[in-house]
Amino acid sequence: MESVLSLGLTLVLAPLFPGIILKVKALFAGKQGPPLLIKYFTLAKLLRKGSVYSTTTSFVFRLGPLVACATAISALLFFPFAGMAPLVAFQGDVVVLFYLFGLGRFFTIAAALDTGSPFEGMGAAREAFFATLAEAALFAVLILFYRLNGSLSLAGYFTGTQPISLAGPQGALLVLVVVALFMLLLAENSRVPVDDPATHLELTMIHEVMILDHSGPDLALIELGAFYKLFFYAALVASLLKPLTPAGPVVGTLQFYGLLTLVYVAIGITESVTARLKMDMVPKYILTAFALVFFAIILTLELV
Amino acid sequence: MDLLFTALALILAGGLAPLSLRRWFACARALHVLLLTGGCLTGLSALFLSWNHTAIPSFSCSWLHTFTLSLTLDSLATVFLLPIFLLAPVIALYGYHYLDRGEHVWRTLVHQFFFSLLIVAMILVTLADTMIAFALAWEMMSLASYALVLYDHEHEECRQAATLYLLFTQSGALLVFAAFGLLFQATGSFAFEQLNQAPHAVKLTAFFLALVGFGSKAGVFPLHIWLPHAHPAAPSHVSALMSGVMIKMGVYGILRLFFLLDDPAPVLAQVVLGFGMVSGVLGVVHALGKHDIKRLLAYHSIENIGIILIGCGLGMLGLAEGNRIMAAFGFAGGLLHVLNHALFKSLLFMGAGAIIQKTGCRHLDQLGGLMKTMPITGRTFLTGSVAIAGLPPLNGFVSEFLIYYAAFLGLQLQGPNALFSMAAIIALAIIGGLASGCFTKVVGIVFLGEPRRQLNPQATEAGAAMRAAMLLLALTCVAIGLWPGPFIRFALHGLRDLAPLAAIGPDILGTIPYHLTLATWIFLALFLLLTALRSLGYRAKPIAQGATWGCGFTRPTSRIQYTGTSYAQDMVAFHRPFVKVKTASTPITRVFPETATYHSKVEDWAEIGLHRLLLQPLLHAVDKLRWIQHGHIQLYIGYIVLTIAVLLLVI
Repeated sequence: MESVLSLGLTLVLAPLFPGIILKVKALFAGKQGPPLLIKYFTLAKLLRKGSVYSTTTSFVFRLGPLVACATAISALLFFPFAGMAPLVAFQGDVVVLFYLFGLGRFFTIAAALDTGSPFEGMGAAREAFFATLAEAALFAVLILFYRLNGSLSLAGYFTGTQPISLAGPQGALLVLVVVALFMLLLAENSRVPVDDPATHLELTMIHEVMILDHSGPDLALIELGAFYKLFFYAALVASLLKPLTPAGPVVGTLQFYGLLTLVYVAIGITESVTARLKMDMVPKYILTAFALVFFAIILTLELV
Repeated sequence: MDLLFTALALILAGGLAPLSLRRWFACARALHVLLLTGGCLTGLSALFLSWNHTAIPSFSCSWLHTFTLSLTLDSLATVFLLPIFLLAPVIALYGYHYLDRGEHVWRTLVHQFFFSLLIVAMILVTLADTMIAFALAWEMMSLASYALVLYDHEHEECRQAATLYLLFTQSGALLVFAAFGLLFQATGSFAFEQLNQAPHAVKLTAFFLALVGFGSKAGVFPLHIWLPHAHPAAPSHVSALMSGVMIKMGVYGILRLFFLLDDPAPVLAQVVLGFGMVSGVLGVVHALGKHDIKRLLAYHSIENIGIILIGCGLGMLGLAEGNRIMAAFGFAGGLLHVLNHALFKSLLFMGAGAIIQKTGCRHLDQLGGLMKTMPITGRTFLTGSVAIAGLPPLNGFVSEFLIYYAAFLGLQLQGPNALFSMAAIIALAIIGGLASGCFTKVVGIVFLGEPRRQLNPQATEAGAAMRAAMLLLALTCVAIGLWPGPFIRFALHGLRDLAPLAAIGPDILGTIPYHLTLATWIFLALFLLLTALRSLGYRAKPIAQGATWGCGFTRPTSRIQYTGTSYAQDMVAFHRPFVKVKTASTPITRVFPETATYHSKVEDWAEIGLHRLLLQPLLHAVDKLRWIQHGHIQLYIGYIVLTIAVLLLVI
């Protein structure tokens, strides 16, 4: 019951948090910024509209948003929000869910190439390349977590008696992982400094340029999928920050959402104070995250 | 065993009988397909009948009063026989329309004979139980496949590719036979079951010799050079059979020998694992750099052999270190990937064949928009692409998941073995990412967007038999993805008759098959729910058609679309110096630009290395020995006498 409630809460609240990022950025720019609920308004607006389809496109173009959103939601089913047992958990579920994200990416890229637009092709090529590197770094994180508590599922990482947490005995080592995961969060969710969701030039975009031709409810599905994916990664970082003191479901949830807000604020601050990297610097950026995790793994090895 | 012999006879008849029906070409092709299907169904029933029996059926006879030839159907053979029996009829069905070329009647009939012969030979390889039987079947397989590659022998390119293949396969066989010779010397027997009595050092040497030999058949990097040449030269259904099924015989050889030697040392596992990782990563990187669709698929075979070897290597590591659960997961993942790769790779080669037949073009960057003109080919190719990229909910993911699981279990091992497992996980993640990059490229460039070149006449959908074959394979891929349980158990069952893993039952899987199925179905349910919601959201909404948004540019042509080359450029360039990218261009220099050109080519270090390190010194040395060949017959006879005399004295 608790699991269902927390999942429902997540599904409803996820579009709220990107509003926080916008608010923080506005604060830094000295502006008032859009209302907190802006993303709900955007979704409602998109859902009211119809669509224009390019005559070049085929059914793959329509499949892209559906698969991307479905994979993001299925990934959330595995997540133990606030340390509560998730709906589904089994040894190995992390592999499944990162591959599900891969499936979503496959169809997003295919949908972009389906339009025949050179800009969207360019964005797709970048997405495919950077995602490969990010995937390697994410699996390095999984290796580290397996060495830390012998589990291969999100529920195993963050619930039970020995959850992986910054406050736990290996906390010092996890600082590296938190930084690396935050960097990967920015890369995987097309945020500054890897990609700029607010830029005005299509040539410099990655994710936003891939969805140029989508409109109406299709675009709403893509946006929703993106909110859920960002929420997933932010929740991953927030779970690492969670203190070990036992808390009831209500207090725990509040604590968790507090930490989550912190992560989103951090994203907003990062976006306000850094510029986008040059495209050829992005691989180095992702490999830095990989190197951080790799270093943490080396610290866990007891090589004779 | 009798059923299996019936199957063999039927398959062989499928090759021979049509030869007498020259006049009725369509009948001859149909008869070939029918007899082959009958034979393979008989074979499948034999597999199912022997499945639940613990007794291992076998047969033996003596040959030339000196050698014993014996055949045995154990569980490992069954796992490798299944893809043969499943795919041979489907590929033959595809060939029915693919080979519909009235001008080559006789050639096609002979081709069909060798097709049947190759299938018979592969079945015999998996069944062989003595070195002699194995060697005979192995050679028959090599020669039959050589004849199949030669189908278009009027093309110089095809003859060259076939010769290259023959050279590789025969040198590989030489090494395998050398390994057999060493083992025979040590044990004094040709029988497989006595191999484990050889001393440790002999076993190691023999295994590594055979690993190189079998590796060249399987297409392990850097012994893969024949693959990217032979596949584009061969007809597509032959590529499908060779890439889908035949190269797995190399993997079978490695596994069979490993279990026969029964001497799991960590060094064997580490070498196999190392070969697997190198093949996997470099295979897919080279595939990204290729523009010829069949050459690209050939490099993906190298990649997938790499994944299979990673699985097997993890299994060997588990055995060497006494972690039998890890061993079971590794081997089961590798074996299941053998079946899965056979399915989706054949499917993709068939799709490539249909494209080449209908458009007359095999260069990715000249195709485009085929999803509209070839809907069935396009949809099945998309299915195969998702499967080969190892993504859920299709079959490629199931086997990769098992291999991942084994690798994670391997992290508990001590010392360098944990590092090897770690490298395997990272390698698998990179392979997965690059493979989906590569197949979004193929699907996106070939099937989506607009045609990059006007075709005359317009491409049409492939023939009915070809479509049926592709649909069958695509549906099988989906079925394994949606109901992975029985297939995982099947792969695990394949280890039953292998001594070190005999005691492992299906209970070690725990709830994994159940949960994998559950996760897949959860995703599917969500997907269907969203689809329903989407159609609700579009009810009574205006839906318009228009041109693709050109970011303000109003006169686009289909040639401004992104090409496969530019799509993959960053990913390939990142992996330098492991790949060699050669570019040549005449840049724009003046204010009013003239024609500018740009060529880029991804070269294979293994090929360059072979040229520089082996071929050139060899040619040089042979050149020096030219004086031996002078044309005097009496001296040639003298050579022969001298050789015999020396041999008599020495031996």
